[in-house]
Amino acid sequence: MKSLTRGHLKAGIDSLRGSKMRNFWTMLGVIIGVASVITIVGIGEGIKQQITGQIHHLGKDLITVRPAALHTGNDTANANLNLLSGVNITGSLHATDVTTIAKTNGVSTTVPLSAVTGGIRGENGAYQDGLVIGTTPDLPSLLNQSMAYGAFLTAEDTGVHAAVLGLHAADAMFNEDVPLGNEFTIHGEQFIVRGIFNDFAATPLSEEASFNNAIFIPYDVAQTLTNDTAATYEILAKPVHSGQTGQVVNSLEQRLKQAHGGQTDFQVLQQNQNLTSSNSIVDLLTKLISGVAAISLLVGGIGIMNVMLVSVTERMHEIGIRKAIGATNRQILSQFIIEASVLSLSGGVIGIGVAFAIDLGLRLFTNLQPVISWQIVVIASGVSLAVGIIFGTIPALTAARKDPIDALRSQ
Amino acid sequence: MALIELQDVSKLYGFGDATTLALDEVNLIIEKGEFVAVMGPSGSGKSTLMHVIGLLDRPSHGLYKFNDRKVAKLRPNQAAKMRRDTIGFIFQSFNLLPRLTALENVALPLAYKGVSLGKRLKQASNMLDRVGIQSREYFLPGQLSGGQAQCAAIARALVNEPKLIIADEPTGNLDSAASRLVMELLSEVHKTGNTVLFVTHNPELTRYATRVVYMHDGAIVHDEKKALGQVADTARKSLYRVPMTTEEDDLAGVSALMKALPSKPAVRSKRKPKSRKAPAKRKTARGKNR
Repeated sequence: MKSLTRGHLKAGIDSLRGSKMRNFWTMLGVIIGVASVITIVGIGEGIKQQITGQIHHLGKDLITVRPAALHTGNDTANANLNLLSGVNITGSLHATDVTTIAKTNGVSTTVPLSAVTGGIRGENGAYQDGLVIGTTPDLPSLLNQSMAYGAFLTAEDTGVHAAVLGLHAADAMFNEDVPLGNEFTIHGEQFIVRGIFNDFAATPLSEEASFNNAIFIPYDVAQTLTNDTAATYEILAKPVHSGQTGQVVNSLEQRLKQAHGGQTDFQVLQQNQNLTSSNSIVDLLTKLISGVAAISLLVGGIGIMNVMLVSVTERMHEIGIRKAIGATNRQILSQFIIEASVLSLSGGVIGIGVAFAIDLGLRLFTNLQPVISWQIVVIASGVSLAVGIIFGTIPALTAARKDPIDALRSQ
Repeated sequence: MALIELQDVSKLYGFGDATTLALDEVNLIIEKGEFVAVMGPSGSGKSTLMHVIGLLDRPSHGLYKFNDRKVAKLRPNQAAKMRRDTIGFIFQSFNLLPRLTALENVALPLAYKGVSLGKRLKQASNMLDRVGIQSREYFLPGQLSGGQAQCAAIARALVNEPKLIIADEPTGNLDSAASRLVMELLSEVHKTGNTVLFVTHNPELTRYATRVVYMHDGAIVHDEKKALGQVADTARKSLYRVPMTTEEDDLAGVSALMKALPSKPAVRSKRKPKSRKAPAKRKTARGKNR
């Protein structure tokens, strides 16, 4: 039986060789399907790894407090649906929350981030791509971020109109390479450039990416500049001992809930929670797009089925001869299934090759770093093989069930 | 024990007014070791009879016992295995697979039997040696002459050592030299104890047979046993005495042979499709020339 399979494998490859062009067009569907599934899963995996790397860089003990939507529904099972219906009120954080967090047991450093929008004018006129963030001196140490030039704001800068720029912001606003000491205005008030950050390790879908375009000013200056309307959109904190992060998060939640009158209109996130939430978004997107790509795999399978049906009709006489000399229905069936599988598996292998080429292209020309794992390669090969077997079955059955004399008569 | 036993076997094709009676209550018993020639005009049901006997087709009515087994009760797979192990088929148009070499073609029945690759290629090579074309092992069928291709087909039919060889006009596409070669091969096979059944239009070739069966309109009209090396009596009549067919007969596909038959008058066949008549004319003409 083994030798028979080998014979059919050879026959399958031979028949592939027979009509190269037609087979290529047949395989195209599978090639596109496999290549797109692998590429998309690879991109998703790459983004996940980049985020993980970023979090590793920031430290696992970083705690983030953010305002959160307050759901009117109390049923947790419906929580996801409530995003679309019902009343959602996004809460906000206040300056008082900063002190609440700082006073919580086990918290070593607290850094608030507030946003001031618009009104930036540099040497090159209005700068519209970035935002102004009010923050405190501990930010660089908390984010493990180094300075390119100058120094970050210090405790003595309270009330001083000093600013630190992200790398892109510095490039866009000034013509000089190192614009330290240069002046610009925010809402008409003069600010002096005190320092420039190194490039924030940019992760797609993460907020650090926008820090490269941002301008950092002292927290209290941001408040006075906007008459206390600058919204605190995030408070970062670090525990004294990184092993106690979990407990600190719990006590933070309780203290803040008390301060907010018993309502949980905020989120306290650990880095790994951050990870899971962003991962789940990336996962969802990956699944969605690869689902679409999988449809093209399905269409490719149907293409293979059509070509196999034509091939069965064309080779009916051959089937008749084979039956006349003693091939059983099952042997004819396996011959055609093997042919279809060879066709779709070759398509899959070519598709994998194309995916690697696309991966290389993405790495060279974008900041994405897709990761193609061996698992996805194995799965893609397996799926394309399965497509061949599934869609090869119908033509193979037609061939196998044909009456020997009818098959022999057809020319 | 007879190898082949047909009792009132009929075969119908088509439906309604288009129904064709290809076999009309045929009774035939063939013993082991016989060398039977089947003669008759085109459309007389010779090929259908061969297909039924060779288990490629099933009778519509009647009883067919092959090797003492009722064929009607065989499942398709059992029939396939019987074709593989006990019957060797030889066709007029050779029916070799064009993409396989002569060697691979001959080895194919062994592959379906499950013989390992090395073994079956060796066996196939020996068989090609036996039919005398071992030097053409790696030729594709398209590169072989007609006689060589038919030899390869015979090798393929013989490779599983079948009990019965069925040859449907094995010399129909061959010139006289190649025909003689093929017939010599078949009679050699017969001498080793095989039963051989072959269809022919050429009365000369009945020399090789031990028995000649004449068919007309799906029925057996004459059956004679004869000595090897002699042209059958009835066939001789068609060969030497009967005048040529008229042009009208030619168009209708009635051969000189049928006019010579004693039992049935030559009736113009009305139900045979046109396409089957066309080759008949040519063959009759060739018969006349000899």
